[in-house]
Amino acid sequence: MMDIKQEKDRGDNVPLIEANDLSKWYGEVIGLNSFNVEISSGITGIVGPNGAGKSTFFKIAIGLIKPNSGALKVMGEDPWLNLKLAARVGFCPDYDNLSNDSTGERFLKLIGGLHGMSGNSLTKRVEEVTEIVGLENEIHRNIGGYSMGMRQKIKLAGSILPNSDLLFLDEPLSGTDPKSRKSLIEVIKSLYEEQGHDVVVSSHVLPEIEKMTSRVVLIYKGRRIASGEISEIRELIDKYPHQIIIEGSEMSELAKGLLDIESTISVGFEDDRNRIKVEVSNLDDFFGALPEVVVNKNIEIESMYSVDEGLEAVFKYLVEE
Amino acid sequence: MNENFTKFTALVRYSIRRILLSKKIVFLLVGLGFTVAVMGYASTQDVEKLWVGAGLMSGLIISFMVPITTMIYGSTIIQDDIEDRSITQIISSPIDRVLSYLGYYLAIVICLSAMLMAITTAGFISFFGPLGIDSASLSIYIDITALVFIGTLVYSSLFMLVSLMTSKAVYFGLFYAFIWEGFVGSLPGNIQKVAISHYIKSISSSWIEYISLDNASGLMLSFYILFALIVSLISFGCLLFRTKEFP
Repeated sequence: MMDIKQEKDRGDNVPLIEANDLSKWYGEVIGLNSFNVEISSGITGIVGPNGAGKSTFFKIAIGLIKPNSGALKVMGEDPWLNLKLAARVGFCPDYDNLSNDSTGERFLKLIGGLHGMSGNSLTKRVEEVTEIVGLENEIHRNIGGYSMGMRQKIKLAGSILPNSDLLFLDEPLSGTDPKSRKSLIEVIKSLYEEQGHDVVVSSHVLPEIEKMTSRVVLIYKGRRIASGEISEIRELIDKYPHQIIIEGSEMSELAKGLLDIESTISVGFEDDRNRIKVEVSNLDDFFGALPEVVVNKNIEIESMYSVDEGLEAVFKYLVEE
Repeated sequence: MNENFTKFTALVRYSIRRILLSKKIVFLLVGLGFTVAVMGYASTQDVEKLWVGAGLMSGLIISFMVPITTMIYGSTIIQDDIEDRSITQIISSPIDRVLSYLGYYLAIVICLSAMLMAITTAGFISFFGPLGIDSASLSIYIDITALVFIGTLVYSSLFMLVSLMTSKAVYFGLFYAFIWEGFVGSLPGNIQKVAISHYIKSISSSWIEYISLDNASGLMLSFYILFALIVSLISFGCLLFRTKEFP
């Protein structure tokens, strides 16, 4: 396992979150497997493919479930049945837990009420958070008529409503269109930069996290496989060969030309002669040289994609070290 | 205002709204129609008004509608929140789980008592209305209404607890309501004393002179047993809810 220690931003030596040998299993399915991590103040991304254990980690962190072994401390405290901690932590789940026949305002007022807020202070806070997430014009509408982006925003508003110190945002961008995604990313960044909330946000898409923070924890099959700055993790990923599939005509000619590129490690034919798999050591060098080969040999490429695009493949590389 | 009280009332209001907006309200409407139809038809027959009226209200409402309705709502109120995952809002909030469980219980008791009392009123009017409402029939109505409340308290506590112990609470509820309460509770001899319905019937036979029960338990004993049962069932439910995980 690789470990890149991250530096703390705020000079605070007490980790915001500390997991030691944290394990959780559901029957025969392992959710977390001796998971160790230290997360400090700021925005931290938890990145891993579906089923990696991100949601399990969040559920333990907010006290929905308890670990089978190991320990998790959130702001120095055990989250299980801890009301004091629950008052300081906000949670935006990855699943849709919204009632379609409720208005956005009613949903937020319920959350406020469950946190002991009432009256004018609650009404004022509801107005504030809807403005933060950009839903001020939609708040009196039924949630059933909300788009996916709006549903994510109202969940996000619910998590920040009690003015929590720490926010757990589980896949807040999932299912949203590019426009909503962009706006949600800006909102999440502002939650730390302008509102002062510490944020732990998960995604299975590394570039999405990259737009919010430079600090990530990579999780795979219930284990932390790396943590630290995204640039360092990218370097780690780049140490491993990338595989690219190219489809088109005259692929044997293209294969000969590709072998002349310095970063090409190997070229092989896939199921038929119109499809090749290229293994390259450096993507930038390869894509820099590729157009010249294609033009010189007058080859038509129908499609080209990296089989490394899935995070699963990247994680396999890291785990197999 | 006390912060815990604010949290508790927020949960109760939320649960009441869920109950009232639930599609299960259809069962109550069918129950209402059924009660009105049966009692309305009975009023057209040549009957001994007070005996038949009391017997019908006891049989239809106390022995049938109350256990069935509380089974339908009690065994699903928390399960529905678990299934659509809205329970996350409750569990991740800084509200004590014991308080949450009591909030669900109070919501169900408020809603079902009100709805069952409405059915009781409709049944009463449909039967006694055409035959004449007098002080004796009003007395029966008040006693039956009080029994509806007692029945709601005890059956709701039972079915809410069962819903935490099994995800098939409705099947258990059907078995319990029809076989245990309906059949065992009407067997002759002491065996009927293992059914909740025996103690409710015992109270009704003490209160209402037009209802008789062989082998009835004493009034105070019935109250004590039902009270102890409610406290035990709610306490056990609170304990289970407090330690339950919500993956």
